[in-house]
Amino acid sequence: MIVADRKPLEEILDMIKECNKILLVGCKGCVTVCNVGGAKEVGILAASLKIARKKDGNPIEIDEKTLERQCDPEYVEQIRDIFDQYDAVLSMACGVGPQFLSEAYPSQTFYPALDTKFFGGAVQHGIWEERCAGCGTCVIHHYDGLCPIARCSKSLQHGPCGGSADGKCEIAKDVECIWDKIVKKKMEQGRLEDLRTIRAPKDWQTARDGGPRKSIREELVQ
Amino acid sequence: MYLKNRFDVGKFIILAEMQPPKGVDVSEMVNSAVRVKKSVDAFLVPEMGNAVMRMSALGGAMVLQSQGLQTIMQVNCRDRNRIALQADLLAAYGAGIVNIMGVSGEDPSLGDHHQAKAVHDIDLMTLFKAVSTLQAGKDLAGNELTGSPSFLLGANVNARATGDELAKELELMDAKSEAGVDFFIAPPVFDFNAIEPFMEKVNLKQVKILPTIMLLKSVGMARYMARHLNMTISQDLIKRLMRAPDKPLESLTIATEVLSDAKAAGFAGVMISAMGWEEKLQKLMDMV
Repeated sequence: MIVADRKPLEEILDMIKECNKILLVGCKGCVTVCNVGGAKEVGILAASLKIARKKDGNPIEIDEKTLERQCDPEYVEQIRDIFDQYDAVLSMACGVGPQFLSEAYPSQTFYPALDTKFFGGAVQHGIWEERCAGCGTCVIHHYDGLCPIARCSKSLQHGPCGGSADGKCEIAKDVECIWDKIVKKKMEQGRLEDLRTIRAPKDWQTARDGGPRKSIREELVQ
Repeated sequence: MYLKNRFDVGKFIILAEMQPPKGVDVSEMVNSAVRVKKSVDAFLVPEMGNAVMRMSALGGAMVLQSQGLQTIMQVNCRDRNRIALQADLLAAYGAGIVNIMGVSGEDPSLGDHHQAKAVHDIDLMTLFKAVSTLQAGKDLAGNELTGSPSFLLGANVNARATGDELAKELELMDAKSEAGVDFFIAPPVFDFNAIEPFMEKVNLKQVKILPTIMLLKSVGMARYMARHLNMTISQDLIKRLMRAPDKPLESLTIATEVLSDAKAAGFAGVMISAMGWEEKLQKLMDMV
């Protein structure tokens, strides 16, 4: 899923400082699963903003709405009747949400309440980790299911580098070295020689480096 | 005399583009440049134009400088992050390269290493800021430098823009000037009527602009550029080249005419792009 964090309350308050009435829109997709942009979090943020503004002697009116998904024009339509009743709309989706909303309602102003972080999953309750960089050409089978493109700080296809020590990455003591894990797994499975293969330079055209991407499924295009 | 001083005294500047080799044999580049050193004020060394891998601009410029030639080193945002860009700017200045030109860099998909990852850690305007920060004695992280550079800074301007595009281009040119850009190189011109909208809006006495003079190596090349690269090359010019008994000579004659027109129009100079005909630069200079 796409994992996001909520922006600091001060930053959100600053974005909407000129507004007296806003619509706060959540999303029932990824950001609900990672507990940052669903109906519950919409309620919490609305309450926090109202309290902060009231404390400042400048109360704000906030309506709440949580869409099935903000990345789908069909669901984005659900605010067609109300979008223009507000000074601005605050989106609690990943970065896709406020853009789809802006495209559907060009006359309204949309603000992002979340910082979109990565593609990942929950490793324990309350902790999510990055697993995929969306590079467009999956190579995890070469590395026994451990992706060095997303999980190595240098995206090395051949590792580890000299900065790996005691299973940790040089960038921080709490960052695991994925190459340490890859090598250990290969050793355990008696397939260390797999790592002798020198891989061709990665084709970054399929990643974000090739420019904005599009996926077309001909059979679905009407 | 440094290029900056030549601009300051109002000399009509002649730049010549000098591509570093795709390899390590620098003899052709050096010989072509040395032959015309008296006629050319500085050699513009591109940084892997069209994303085609070759010897870097820093390397090429250092080789030319070692022959006593003045250079303008191109710097792009595509191939280096802010650490490498700053490092190479310091290296360049330390090696005597005092003229630089900032460009974004074409996408790798247009070059010969399609699969490469472009860097774009900082964009062009931030690169100009980095240059002024280095000149003020600090790096982008705020650390003090031991000795600071003082560059003459160039950039591109699309003089062929018209309408809304022209308004955007002029705005961008102003922003670049504010960011410290001292001179601008404009795309190839064959007929100044083609950039009249631009010339009407720009005060050539205030902004140093050098249009590019591109040598037309063949009728085919002229036709291709007119059809596919949106360059204004009139049918009359193409016919003139077609009918000429000595086509290379005619091409050089056309270039000298463009050069005279640029001078008469009040441009600060010209940038000659020989497109592989560097060995003909000497003849062209003799004709000017």
